[in-house]
Amino acid sequence: MTAVVPPEGFEHEAMFYRGDADFLAGLLPFIRGGLERDEAVLVAEPRPRLDLLRDALGDDAGAVEFLDMAEIGGNPARIIGMWAQVLEQHSEAGRRLRGVGEPAFVGRRTAELAECRLHELLLNHAFDAGPGWRLLCPYDQEHLPRAVTQGALRTHPVRSTSESRLPSTGYAPGRHMDAFGEQLPARGDAVLRGGYGPGDIAATRRTVAQWARSCGLPEDRVEVLELAASELATNSIRHGGGGGTVAMWLDESAAVLEFSDAGTLSDPLIGRLRPPHDQEGGQGLYLVNQLCDLVQLRSSDQGTTVRVITWF
Amino acid sequence: MAPLSGRQSAAYLVTVRAHGLLDHVPGAEPADHLCWVYEDDGIFDDAAAEFLAGGLARGERVLCVGERVIEGLRTPGALPRDLTELLAEGSVETLTLAEAYEAAGRFLPERQLAYYDAATRRALDAGYSGLRVIAEVSDLAADPAQRADLVRWEHLADDYATHGPGFSAMCAYRAELGTDALADVASVHPMVHAPAEVTPFRLFAEADRLVLAGSLDASNSDRLTNALAATVGTGGDVVLDLSALEFIDVGACRVIARWAAGLAERSVTVQVTGASGLLRRMWQILELDRVAAVGFAEARA
Repeated sequence: MTAVVPPEGFEHEAMFYRGDADFLAGLLPFIRGGLERDEAVLVAEPRPRLDLLRDALGDDAGAVEFLDMAEIGGNPARIIGMWAQVLEQHSEAGRRLRGVGEPAFVGRRTAELAECRLHELLLNHAFDAGPGWRLLCPYDQEHLPRAVTQGALRTHPVRSTSESRLPSTGYAPGRHMDAFGEQLPARGDAVLRGGYGPGDIAATRRTVAQWARSCGLPEDRVEVLELAASELATNSIRHGGGGGTVAMWLDESAAVLEFSDAGTLSDPLIGRLRPPHDQEGGQGLYLVNQLCDLVQLRSSDQGTTVRVITWF
Repeated sequence: MAPLSGRQSAAYLVTVRAHGLLDHVPGAEPADHLCWVYEDDGIFDDAAAEFLAGGLARGERVLCVGERVIEGLRTPGALPRDLTELLAEGSVETLTLAEAYEAAGRFLPERQLAYYDAATRRALDAGYSGLRVIAEVSDLAADPAQRADLVRWEHLADDYATHGPGFSAMCAYRAELGTDALADVASVHPMVHAPAEVTPFRLFAEADRLVLAGSLDASNSDRLTNALAATVGTGGDVVLDLSALEFIDVGACRVIARWAAGLAERSVTVQVTGASGLLRRMWQILELDRVAAVGFAEARA
């Protein structure tokens, strides 16, 4: 094995595996290596992989913290905030962190995989300048779409398998702003659409709540979307030129709500990291990310779009 | 009220004040505190007359404050009995704004309270069951410099209606004051008759707690900050009842947290009841317990 990144920095590595045995052959040495150095080790994997790892680790499993990636990373925009909190907590205690995170697991929907790609790019931006730690992201080379595994080469500075570890030549730093500014896929059919301005916050959230109810969503989801609508409309009114447009539609698996305005967000991590208590901005977006199934945020000098997806 | 069970707790017997948005004058009850916004003098005169008649029927003395109210009394048929007679026996008293200033001095919330407390006790001593005030105080609300004091006075009045010996009031304001001024004063009454855009939320006192009702968002978070700042501290811990809240956004949650943090500096703890599951999740996600240690209890049964 070659050390490809100075050990002081953030090492973000994609580990490609084929099958359970290969998955374990790649991960067990990584995890045990961390435990041997007395590093804090946290594993975020979907449930079946979590169980597989826990069993294989045997007695060592007790020293490892496990999180269900399907839960904490259901909306990938929540994952960076989770790592940032864990990193802060262990850095304060003087311990190095070693993480395993598989956000792009098999079975995820196309829109979720798109958000995983943006998330992986933003990880570098979020942690490159901070304290050193290692994050290994397993990718299932057998079952994921080829575009996803190929994409991982461009989002991780290091690529590895159970047998080799190399710099990823497809990776270049600083591409996250391009990804953050990309257009989202076209809207579905039968779009309901309307504009809002100052004074329309209450009307906007009532319209959204009514639509959500008419889609047959349960009341707790309706309440969350009503809150999301209020926060996103407020953001447009305050920062997006005084107003914007809201669009609502259904596709075969989800109710989709989209807010657009003419504003530009300069910080691509907005809503991903928990804002400080004394900061007014970013609180609503952070909350929307935490409460909603999937949030797709894109911003460029062409404007800002937030798509909130609620799965049926 | 039918007993709910054999082991009914005292809490069920606490009188809950009437509150809500009004389209007519409700039947007179103790501790009434109405805000009545009007465009048409005639319609206000009718409402004031009805409020007055309700007080007389309850054996209360009615004090009419402000020229508009006094003039309305002279409308033929406005009163159940002859005005001269009612004035002579003391069932109805009048006070022009000029007289009110003279009686209570420059407008200061504490002086207002002292004045109305004395007036209420005089009414009780004279054998009335309480004092019912109808006040047209638009001129006070029109002056932005006085509005903060007026809002604080409305809070004191609301607290006095709840905890005092028998005070109730209708506070009337002209619609032409505009949404800003009206919303400031309307939001501190439990019962409001006003256009919808004026009253997205209401903050008022119950016997043992503060009640926040309606919808809270960015359009009224400054107003909420001011209304909470003007609430009457009773010295002990504060219970904030949110069970009548229809909607609350992140900004308003933060306003409540900051208000609670300010009270904590004076060793006053805020206990929240009736919070929705979503509000509790917001509080947890935004770690607002780090801003202020607020206790959450279940909604009152």
